[in-house]
Amino acid sequence: MKTLIIVSHPSVLESGSQQFLIQSLPDDEEITLHILEETYPNGDIDIKKEQKLLVNHDRILFQFPFYWYSSPPLLKKWQDEVLTEHFAFGYRGNKLKDKEFGLILAIGLPEKEYKTGGREGFSISELTKPFQAMAKKTGMIYLKPLTIFQFSYMSEKQKKALLIEYQQYISLEQPITLKSREEWLLKELEKTPQETLATEDALFILEEVREVIEDNRIELDELKLHLDNYDDK
Amino acid sequence: MEENQWVKNQLRQLEKESQDYKQKALLQETLALLLEQEKREEQLKGELDGTLWSPGNWSS
Repeated sequence: MKTLIIVSHPSVLESGSQQFLIQSLPDDEEITLHILEETYPNGDIDIKKEQKLLVNHDRILFQFPFYWYSSPPLLKKWQDEVLTEHFAFGYRGNKLKDKEFGLILAIGLPEKEYKTGGREGFSISELTKPFQAMAKKTGMIYLKPLTIFQFSYMSEKQKKALLIEYQQYISLEQPITLKSREEWLLKELEKTPQETLATEDALFILEEVREVIEDNRIELDELKLHLDNYDDK
Repeated sequence: MEENQWVKNQLRQLEKESQDYKQKALLQETLALLLEQEKREEQLKGELDGTLWSPGNWSS
Protein backbone atom coordinates (compact mmCIF):
# COMPACT_ATOMS: atom_id res chain seq x y z
CA MET A 1 0.00 0.00 0.00
CA LYS A 2 1.38 3.40 -0.98
CA THR A 3 0.71 6.37 1.25
CA LEU A 4 0.92 10.03 0.28
CA ILE A 5 1.28 12.52 3.11
CA ILE A 6 0.44 16.04 2.02
CA VAL A 7 1.79 18.46 4.60
CA SER A 8 0.76 22.08 4.75
CA HIS A 9 2.22 24.52 7.24
CA PRO A 10 3.27 28.15 6.65
CA SER A 11 6.64 27.57 8.37
CA VAL A 12 7.16 23.85 8.59
CA LEU A 13 10.82 24.11 9.65
CA GLU A 14 9.87 26.06 12.76
CA SER A 15 7.02 23.81 13.79
CA GLY A 16 7.94 21.43 16.60
CA SER A 17 5.04 19.11 15.95
CA GLN A 18 5.56 18.94 12.17
CA GLN A 19 9.29 18.34 12.56
CA PHE A 20 8.61 15.61 15.10
CA LEU A 21 6.18 13.88 12.73
CA ILE A 22 8.50 14.16 9.75
CA GLN A 23 11.38 12.70 11.78
CA SER A 24 9.08 9.91 12.96
CA LEU A 25 8.40 8.58 9.49
CA PRO A 26 9.43 4.95 9.05
CA ASP A 27 12.46 4.46 6.81
CA ASP A 28 11.34 1.58 4.68
CA GLU A 29 7.68 2.00 3.92
CA GLU A 30 6.11 3.04 0.68
CA ILE A 31 5.57 6.58 1.82
CA THR A 32 5.75 9.86 -0.06
CA LEU A 33 6.13 12.97 2.04
CA HIS A 34 4.95 16.02 0.14
CA ILE A 35 5.31 19.42 1.79
CA LEU A 36 3.26 21.91 -0.22
CA GLU A 37 4.94 25.11 0.99
CA GLU A 38 8.39 23.70 0.13
CA THR A 39 7.34 22.42 -3.28
CA TYR A 40 5.42 25.56 -4.20
CA PRO A 41 6.96 28.53 -2.36
CA ASN A 42 5.22 30.87 -4.81
CA GLY A 43 1.94 29.07 -4.52
CA ASP A 44 1.87 28.03 -8.19
CA ILE A 45 0.63 24.48 -8.03
CA ASP A 46 1.48 22.00 -10.79
CA ILE A 47 -1.97 20.47 -11.14
CA LYS A 48 -1.05 17.62 -13.48
CA LYS A 49 1.84 16.57 -11.23
CA GLU A 50 -0.37 16.62 -8.16
CA GLN A 51 -3.08 14.58 -9.84
CA LYS A 52 -0.50 12.03 -10.90
CA LEU A 53 0.76 11.79 -7.32
CA LEU A 54 -2.77 11.15 -6.11
CA VAL A 55 -3.41 8.46 -8.69
CA ASN A 56 -0.18 6.68 -7.73
CA HIS A 57 -1.08 6.31 -4.06
CA ASP A 58 -3.69 4.29 -2.17
CA ARG A 59 -3.93 6.28 1.04
CA ILE A 60 -4.01 10.08 0.96
CA LEU A 61 -3.34 11.92 4.20
CA PHE A 62 -3.58 15.67 4.88
CA GLN A 63 -1.29 16.74 7.69
CA PHE A 64 -1.62 20.30 9.00
CA PRO A 65 -2.15 22.54 12.00
CA PHE A 66 -5.86 23.07 12.57
CA TYR A 67 -6.10 26.85 12.03
CA TRP A 68 -9.52 28.43 12.46
CA TYR A 69 -11.20 25.05 12.07
CA SER A 70 -9.59 24.48 8.70
CA SER A 71 -6.28 24.02 6.90
CA PRO A 72 -3.57 26.59 6.08
CA PRO A 73 -4.36 28.51 2.87
CA LEU A 74 -2.08 26.60 0.48
CA LEU A 75 -3.84 23.31 1.18
CA LYS A 76 -7.23 24.94 0.49
CA LYS A 77 -5.81 26.35 -2.76
CA TRP A 78 -4.50 22.86 -3.56
CA GLN A 79 -7.97 21.40 -3.06
CA ASP A 80 -9.57 24.10 -5.23
CA GLU A 81 -7.12 23.58 -8.07
CA VAL A 82 -6.22 19.89 -8.00
CA LEU A 83 -9.54 18.22 -7.22
CA THR A 84 -11.11 19.13 -10.51
CA GLU A 85 -14.29 17.97 -12.17
CA HIS A 86 -13.78 14.92 -14.44
CA PHE A 87 -10.80 13.99 -12.27
CA ALA A 88 -12.07 13.87 -8.71
CA PHE A 89 -15.83 14.08 -9.29
CA GLY A 90 -18.45 14.51 -12.00
CA TYR A 91 -18.58 12.67 -15.31
CA ARG A 92 -15.73 10.11 -15.40
CA GLY A 93 -14.26 11.84 -12.39
CA ASN A 94 -13.49 8.69 -10.48
CA LYS A 95 -9.71 8.78 -10.12
CA LEU A 96 -9.84 8.91 -6.32
CA LYS A 97 -12.60 6.35 -5.89
CA ASP A 98 -11.93 3.72 -3.17
CA LYS A 99 -8.72 5.35 -2.02
CA GLU A 100 -8.43 6.01 1.70
CA PHE A 101 -8.39 9.53 3.03
CA GLY A 102 -7.32 10.68 6.48
CA LEU A 103 -6.46 13.80 8.46
CA ILE A 104 -3.50 14.26 10.78
CA LEU A 105 -4.31 17.34 12.81
CA ALA A 106 -2.11 19.31 15.19
CA ILE A 107 -4.47 21.12 17.51
CA GLY A 108 -3.54 23.87 19.97
CA LEU A 109 -6.19 23.33 22.64
CA PRO A 110 -6.85 20.27 24.80
CA GLU A 111 -9.23 17.58 23.61
CA LYS A 112 -11.77 18.27 26.36
CA GLU A 113 -12.62 21.67 24.84
CA TYR A 114 -13.89 20.11 21.62
CA LYS A 115 -17.33 19.11 22.80
CA THR A 116 -20.62 20.74 23.58
CA GLY A 117 -20.07 22.90 26.66
CA GLY A 118 -16.29 23.01 26.08
CA ARG A 119 -14.56 26.25 25.15
CA GLU A 120 -14.69 25.39 21.44
CA GLY A 121 -18.17 23.98 21.71
CA PHE A 122 -17.97 21.61 18.74
CA SER A 123 -16.34 18.23 18.25
CA ILE A 124 -13.51 17.58 15.79
CA SER A 125 -15.95 15.36 13.87
CA GLU A 126 -18.27 18.35 13.44
CA LEU A 127 -15.52 20.81 12.59
CA THR A 128 -13.96 18.57 9.93
CA LYS A 129 -17.22 18.08 8.00
CA PRO A 130 -15.91 19.81 4.83
CA PHE A 131 -13.09 17.23 4.60
CA GLN A 132 -15.55 14.41 5.18
CA ALA A 133 -17.75 15.84 2.42
CA MET A 134 -14.73 16.06 0.13
CA ALA A 135 -13.96 12.38 0.74
CA LYS A 136 -17.59 11.45 0.11
CA LYS A 137 -17.86 13.44 -3.11
CA THR A 138 -14.66 11.96 -4.49
CA GLY A 139 -15.57 8.39 -3.46
CA MET A 140 -12.76 8.04 -0.94
CA ILE A 141 -13.02 6.10 2.30
CA TYR A 142 -12.77 8.50 5.24
CA LEU A 143 -10.50 7.23 8.02
CA LYS A 144 -10.69 8.19 11.66
CA PRO A 145 -8.40 11.21 11.97
CA LEU A 146 -5.18 11.18 13.95
CA THR A 147 -5.60 14.12 16.31
CA ILE A 148 -2.63 15.56 18.20
CA PHE A 149 -3.72 17.89 20.96
CA GLN A 150 -1.21 20.34 22.47
CA PHE A 151 1.94 18.71 21.18
CA SER A 152 4.20 21.14 23.05
CA TYR A 153 2.76 20.04 26.41
CA MET A 154 3.23 16.34 25.74
CA SER A 155 5.56 14.31 27.97
CA GLU A 156 8.39 12.29 26.45
CA LYS A 157 6.35 9.15 27.04
CA GLN A 158 3.34 10.61 25.22
CA LYS A 159 5.56 11.71 22.34
CA LYS A 160 6.99 8.23 21.94
CA ALA A 161 3.50 6.77 21.95
CA LEU A 162 2.53 9.31 19.29
CA LEU A 163 5.51 8.32 17.15
CA ILE A 164 4.30 4.72 17.02
CA GLU A 165 0.65 5.70 16.57
CA TYR A 166 1.67 7.92 13.65
CA GLN A 167 3.72 5.16 12.00
CA GLN A 168 0.81 2.78 12.35
CA TYR A 169 -1.70 5.33 11.04
CA ILE A 170 0.41 5.72 7.92
CA SER A 171 1.14 2.08 7.19
CA LEU A 172 -1.37 -0.24 8.87
CA GLU A 173 -4.38 -1.61 7.10
CA GLN A 174 -7.69 -0.29 8.37
CA PRO A 175 -9.40 -0.89 10.69
CA ILE A 176 -6.49 -0.92 13.14
CA THR A 177 -7.08 -3.64 15.75
CA LEU A 178 -5.14 -5.01 18.70
CA LYS A 179 -4.23 -8.02 16.57
CA SER A 180 -2.98 -5.93 13.66
CA ARG A 181 -0.93 -3.79 16.04
CA GLU A 182 0.60 -6.96 17.52
CA GLU A 183 1.63 -8.16 14.10
CA TRP A 184 3.01 -4.74 13.19
CA LEU A 185 5.07 -4.51 16.38
CA LEU A 186 6.48 -8.01 15.91
CA LYS A 187 7.60 -7.10 12.41
CA GLU A 188 9.17 -3.86 13.60
CA LEU A 189 10.98 -5.61 16.46
CA GLU A 190 12.48 -7.98 13.95
CA LYS A 191 13.82 -5.07 11.92
CA THR A 192 15.04 -2.95 14.82
CA PRO A 193 18.83 -2.30 14.65
CA GLN A 194 20.85 -4.30 17.14
CA GLU A 195 23.76 -1.89 17.31
CA THR A 196 21.74 0.68 19.27
CA LEU A 197 20.67 -1.88 21.85
CA ALA A 198 23.05 -1.82 24.81
CA THR A 199 23.07 -5.41 26.00
CA GLU A 200 24.37 -8.54 24.34
CA ASP A 201 21.27 -10.35 25.51
CA ALA A 202 19.02 -8.04 23.52
CA LEU A 203 18.30 -10.62 20.82
CA PHE A 204 17.39 -13.25 23.39
CA ILE A 205 15.12 -10.80 25.24
CA LEU A 206 13.37 -9.74 22.03
CA GLU A 207 12.82 -13.40 21.17
CA GLU A 208 11.22 -13.90 24.60
CA VAL A 209 9.06 -10.82 23.99
CA ARG A 210 7.88 -12.28 20.70
CA GLU A 211 6.94 -15.53 22.39
CA VAL A 212 4.98 -13.77 25.10
CA ILE A 213 3.06 -11.64 22.59
CA GLU A 214 2.26 -14.72 20.49
CA ASP A 215 1.25 -16.79 23.53
CA ASN A 216 -0.99 -13.99 24.74
CA ARG A 217 -2.63 -13.89 21.31
CA ILE A 218 -3.33 -17.62 21.41
CA GLU A 219 -4.88 -17.22 24.83
CA LEU A 220 -7.02 -14.29 23.70
CA ASP A 221 -8.24 -16.17 20.63
CA GLU A 222 -9.13 -19.20 22.77
CA LEU A 223 -11.12 -17.06 25.19
CA LYS A 224 -12.99 -15.50 22.29
CA LEU A 225 -13.74 -18.94 20.90
CA HIS A 226 -15.25 -20.01 24.24
CA LEU A 227 -17.37 -16.88 24.33
CA ASP A 228 -18.54 -17.41 20.75
CA ASN A 229 -19.58 -20.97 21.67
CA TYR A 230 -21.80 -19.67 24.46
CA ASP A 231 -23.25 -16.97 22.23
CA ASP A 232 -24.33 -19.65 19.77
CA LYS A 233 -26.35 -21.54 22.37
CA MET B 1 0.02 -13.72 31.68
CA GLU B 2 1.13 -12.19 35.00
CA GLU B 3 4.25 -14.38 35.07
CA ASN B 4 5.63 -12.32 32.21
CA GLN B 5 6.98 -9.77 34.65
CA TRP B 6 10.56 -10.70 33.73
CA VAL B 7 9.98 -9.89 30.06
CA LYS B 8 8.38 -6.57 30.98
CA ASN B 9 11.28 -5.59 33.19
CA GLN B 10 13.74 -6.50 30.45
CA LEU B 11 11.82 -4.40 27.95
CA ARG B 12 11.95 -1.41 30.31
CA GLN B 13 15.69 -1.87 30.65
CA LEU B 14 16.23 -2.24 26.90
CA GLU B 15 14.29 0.96 26.30
CA LYS B 16 16.26 2.84 28.91
CA GLU B 17 19.57 1.79 27.40
CA SER B 18 18.71 2.10 23.73
CA GLN B 19 20.55 4.85 21.87
CA ASP B 20 17.95 5.36 19.19
CA TYR B 21 14.80 7.43 19.74
CA LYS B 22 12.58 5.49 17.34
CA GLN B 23 13.77 2.26 18.90
CA LYS B 24 12.98 3.60 22.38
CA ALA B 25 9.48 4.40 21.17
CA LEU B 26 9.08 0.94 19.71
CA LEU B 27 10.17 -0.75 22.94
CA GLN B 28 7.96 1.49 25.09
CA GLU B 29 4.94 0.69 22.95
CA THR B 30 5.75 -3.02 22.91
CA LEU B 31 5.49 -2.96 26.68
CA ALA B 32 2.23 -0.99 26.39
CA LEU B 33 0.91 -3.65 24.00
CA LEU B 34 1.73 -6.43 26.48
CA LEU B 35 -0.22 -4.59 29.16
CA GLU B 36 -3.10 -4.07 26.75
CA GLN B 37 -3.17 -7.78 25.93
CA GLU B 38 -3.33 -8.58 29.65
CA LYS B 39 -6.18 -6.12 30.14
CA ARG B 40 -8.06 -7.64 27.20
CA GLU B 41 -7.55 -11.09 28.68
CA GLU B 42 -9.03 -9.98 31.99
CA GLN B 43 -12.01 -8.44 30.23
CA LEU B 44 -12.66 -11.60 28.22
CA LYS B 45 -12.31 -13.79 31.31
CA GLY B 46 -14.77 -11.54 33.12
CA GLU B 47 -17.16 -11.76 30.21
CA LEU B 48 -16.84 -15.54 30.11
CA ASP B 49 -17.46 -15.70 33.87
CA GLY B 50 -20.57 -13.57 33.49
CA THR B 51 -21.79 -15.76 30.64
CA LEU B 52 -21.27 -18.99 32.61
CA TRP B 53 -23.20 -17.61 35.57
CA SER B 54 -26.03 -16.17 33.54
CA PRO B 55 -29.33 -17.97 34.29
CA GLY B 56 -30.00 -17.99 30.55
CA ASN B 57 -27.29 -20.63 30.16
CA TRP B 58 -28.39 -22.89 33.02
CA SER B 59 -30.94 -24.86 31.06
CA SER B 60 -28.43 -26.40 28.65
